[in-house]
Amino acid sequence: MIELSQVTKRFGDETAVNAIDLKIAKGKFCALVGTSGCGKSTTLRMINRLIERSDGDIILDGQAIEAYDPVKLRRRIGYVIQSTGLFPHWTVARNIGLVPRLLKWSAEDIQARVKELMELLGLPVEEFAHKYPHQLSGGQAQRVGVARALAADPDILLMDEPFGALDPITRIKLQDELASLQARLHKTVVFVTHDMDEALKLADHLVVMRDGLIVQQGTPLALLQHPKDPFVESLLGGLERGLKQAALTRVKDHMSSMGPTLPSQYRIPADFSLRQALSMMLRDHTDRLAVVDQHDVPIGELSLRKIVKEAQLEKGSMREA
Amino acid sequence: MSLLDALPTPRLGRGKHPNVVLVSLSVTMLAAVWGLDAVSVAANRIVQATGVSAMDAIGWPGVLLASLLIIAVGGLAYQPSRTNYWAALGVVVLILALMPFGLMVAGHFLIDPELPQARLGIGAGYWVLLFILMLCLIELRLKLALRRFWPVVILSSIGLVWWLCASLWLSDLALIQEFKARDRQFIQAALEHILLVSVAVSISIVVGTLLALLMRRFVKLQKSAFALLNFLQTIPSLALFGLLLAPLAWLAANVPILAQLGVSGIGNTPALIALVAYSLLPMVRNTYIALEEVSPDTLEAASAMGMRASQRFWQVRLPLALPIMLEGVRITTVQAIGLTAVAALIGAGGLGTFIFQGLGQAAMDMVLLGALPILILALVVDAGLGALAEVLRPGGVR
Amino acid sequence: MKPNVKQPARLSAQSPSNRLWGQPLLWGLLLAICVLGIPYAEGLFRWFEPNARQVIYQRAHFYDLLGRHLLVVGVAAIVTISLGVGAGIAVTRKKGQDFLPLVSQLASLGQTFPPVAVLALAVPVLGFGTLPIIMALMLYGLLPIVRNTLTGLQDVDADMKTAAHAMGMTPLQTLYQVELPLAAPVILAGIRTSVTINIATAALGATVGASNLGDPIIAGIINGNMAYVIQGALLIALLALTIDSLFDALQSKIRLHLSSSPGDLARHSTR
Repeated sequence: MIELSQVTKRFGDETAVNAIDLKIAKGKFCALVGTSGCGKSTTLRMINRLIERSDGDIILDGQAIEAYDPVKLRRRIGYVIQSTGLFPHWTVARNIGLVPRLLKWSAEDIQARVKELMELLGLPVEEFAHKYPHQLSGGQAQRVGVARALAADPDILLMDEPFGALDPITRIKLQDELASLQARLHKTVVFVTHDMDEALKLADHLVVMRDGLIVQQGTPLALLQHPKDPFVESLLGGLERGLKQAALTRVKDHMSSMGPTLPSQYRIPADFSLRQALSMMLRDHTDRLAVVDQHDVPIGELSLRKIVKEAQLEKGSMREA
Repeated sequence: MSLLDALPTPRLGRGKHPNVVLVSLSVTMLAAVWGLDAVSVAANRIVQATGVSAMDAIGWPGVLLASLLIIAVGGLAYQPSRTNYWAALGVVVLILALMPFGLMVAGHFLIDPELPQARLGIGAGYWVLLFILMLCLIELRLKLALRRFWPVVILSSIGLVWWLCASLWLSDLALIQEFKARDRQFIQAALEHILLVSVAVSISIVVGTLLALLMRRFVKLQKSAFALLNFLQTIPSLALFGLLLAPLAWLAANVPILAQLGVSGIGNTPALIALVAYSLLPMVRNTYIALEEVSPDTLEAASAMGMRASQRFWQVRLPLALPIMLEGVRITTVQAIGLTAVAALIGAGGLGTFIFQGLGQAAMDMVLLGALPILILALVVDAGLGALAEVLRPGGVR
Repeated sequence: MKPNVKQPARLSAQSPSNRLWGQPLLWGLLLAICVLGIPYAEGLFRWFEPNARQVIYQRAHFYDLLGRHLLVVGVAAIVTISLGVGAGIAVTRKKGQDFLPLVSQLASLGQTFPPVAVLALAVPVLGFGTLPIIMALMLYGLLPIVRNTLTGLQDVDADMKTAAHAMGMTPLQTLYQVELPLAAPVILAGIRTSVTINIATAALGATVGASNLGDPIIAGIINGNMAYVIQGALLIALLALTIDSLFDALQSKIRLHLSSSPGDLARHSTR
């Protein structure tokens, strides 16, 4: 549980972060989104005290962060940055084992933990353990960065645009892996990005910032449905907003029971997103699809007219994807 | 011009592209063998020596052998491949190892055993050949991507061959005669030289590192210290040595304890002070830059992972800065080796003594006896510390 | 976000061009005063050497020595600049790129040769006098110029070169209108280092009979006359400071030009 209340950071005359309030529940994935210079990275760095705030309180697991020794605090918070910050003079294995070594784990424990993490992140130990950071590709280096952050099994993970420097294909791959990691590990994650699609895809809780202020926060779906002002709306993609929203809902949430006949020869699995379903309808010139389960057995139907009607009725009553 | 002409032409069959560098180097070597005087002969150590061409010095079989070997290097480089480069390296090493024997043959032909004063000098062609062979070694090392460690091994084994020849059979050579006439003096001077350089460099490493650390802590100090050190460098080394004479003489005369400690106007003390003063700038600059230039992202990551300030310094900042700091030590040492030679002018001893005595007596062989070891010492230190820096750079960062 | 550090208002300090040339002028003036004034400052130098027979170096006029010093450094500089910049350009062209590794290694090797040793080795070949010191200065001063020319030319953005190529500039046009102007500040910095080092090193020439500002120093050391040493050292230091500040002004001018007229570059590459 991380709680920020009235947190402010001033650099000289400039106010980078202006009295923000933010609560991140344990095990949740919170994304801070905004254009560059909006104060999102500063907010992140105040949590592990890389930057000391000017005003307000930050409470971690019921205790103000001043109560912790900053060094010890950082050892229990994982941190991943865009440029990886891997130590160029250390091997991959040594880089990953950094925090456990700082915590004075035994050599065997460290070795076992490094091996475990490398496997978790898809880095074959024999191939990578003895490589140096400059011998890695961008995606591999960032995997090492994530492994290093997870090494001492911290409850909290801070990530500052971790995938910002990667090519789109690697970025999407790592996003998927992070999502599945999070589904298993349930860390409390604070994730800074300027890529709204990335935030929508990963976050449980979305925080939009501008000029040091929080403009709006809530679940991704809630923001998509009710953007507070034109800024949030444009950030969320303007006209594309409908499709982004559709990407967050599953086909099975919109299907109706099947009539006597098969609605169409086109089939879609129930756990696909509504966006994929809409795309399929456009591609195949149809307004109805048969929904099938994992054994390809039809279990319902999806109708374009019904989806539109539902959307009109539902306004605002939906929760959680 | 058609669009296709505008595109850069791709190198077809890159492997077959001749190594222009080695080919032109071997052409130059041929020109040196045929066109320049290989050696010179003098009746004694003062008279002007007369040049002798390679043909007269080692006869046509010798010139033919040399030419063939040089052509072999060029030929191998004309169709480069890893095997051919290794072969070329072998030929270059062979030429280097054979060169002292050339001198022996020349001595046999040209020096009349009846004239004990007669001596054989090394000519321009010989020096040029030697220099270009070094360039060939560098080029081959780069092409074969050898680590710096290998040339050190190769050159020291060639050096061994040369040393053996020199000490056993090359008594006609002017340099050897000059050495034999004052071997004790030479060894002592060489030791003095090395001692002076090592003491000066050690002091400047300690003082320089401390100064760089202080500069990082006190920003104000940084500007004034760099200004002072830069100013010191504009004073010619010669003048700095000279300027220290009087104050130190005065100190020695008026403060007896200092005199007992060996401080005097002339000799080691002013030399040491001047050497340290000159060495400080490269030392401090490199140490300071090395420590400052460590990537801020890496350092931030270190803090964010929960490293304490001291852990961050010793485990991250310092190891990453070490190769550049060592570069500073290398520059400092090489510079100090040269400056120590100048220090001979104020009676500090060292190999510079031979240079200035030789210049005074117009005995060029004696000048050579001083200058050549200084040059070799500088090159050896340069190569050695360069190799050490490479070793200290894990994973070949940068 | 990183703290937004305010840039010091450096630009405003150098905008008037007379400010730019003020420093070199000042040092130059001081140098001139000393060259002409030292012979009349016997009282001052007497203070350093109360017992010496003479306290003012008499064997040659100081302006003569200064002239010869400048000549040696100047000739060496002209040769090193044309050789160094030429070599730097040649090995960064397509035809000469095979020589690039060797030349950069050679340039760094050049500075390993101690100037005294080079001087001593040059004497048997070139005889006593001015030639050996010019030779030594050339070898010693080559590295900074070659190194900086290489860095400067290699650091020119590859996109910019591609753009020039794509607009139809010939390689020569690209070199003169894009690469060299952009690399100029770095190359100039190399020339500055080289010349400044050589002004001090040229004094060594006095040991092989080249008469220049090193003469009083050698004479002073040999005769134990501190006043001579100070006279030589003072003039050399002032000369070095004059030339160094001249380069400083030149660099600021170029930097000002590069930073104040981004339009220039655009014009160059589209012409």
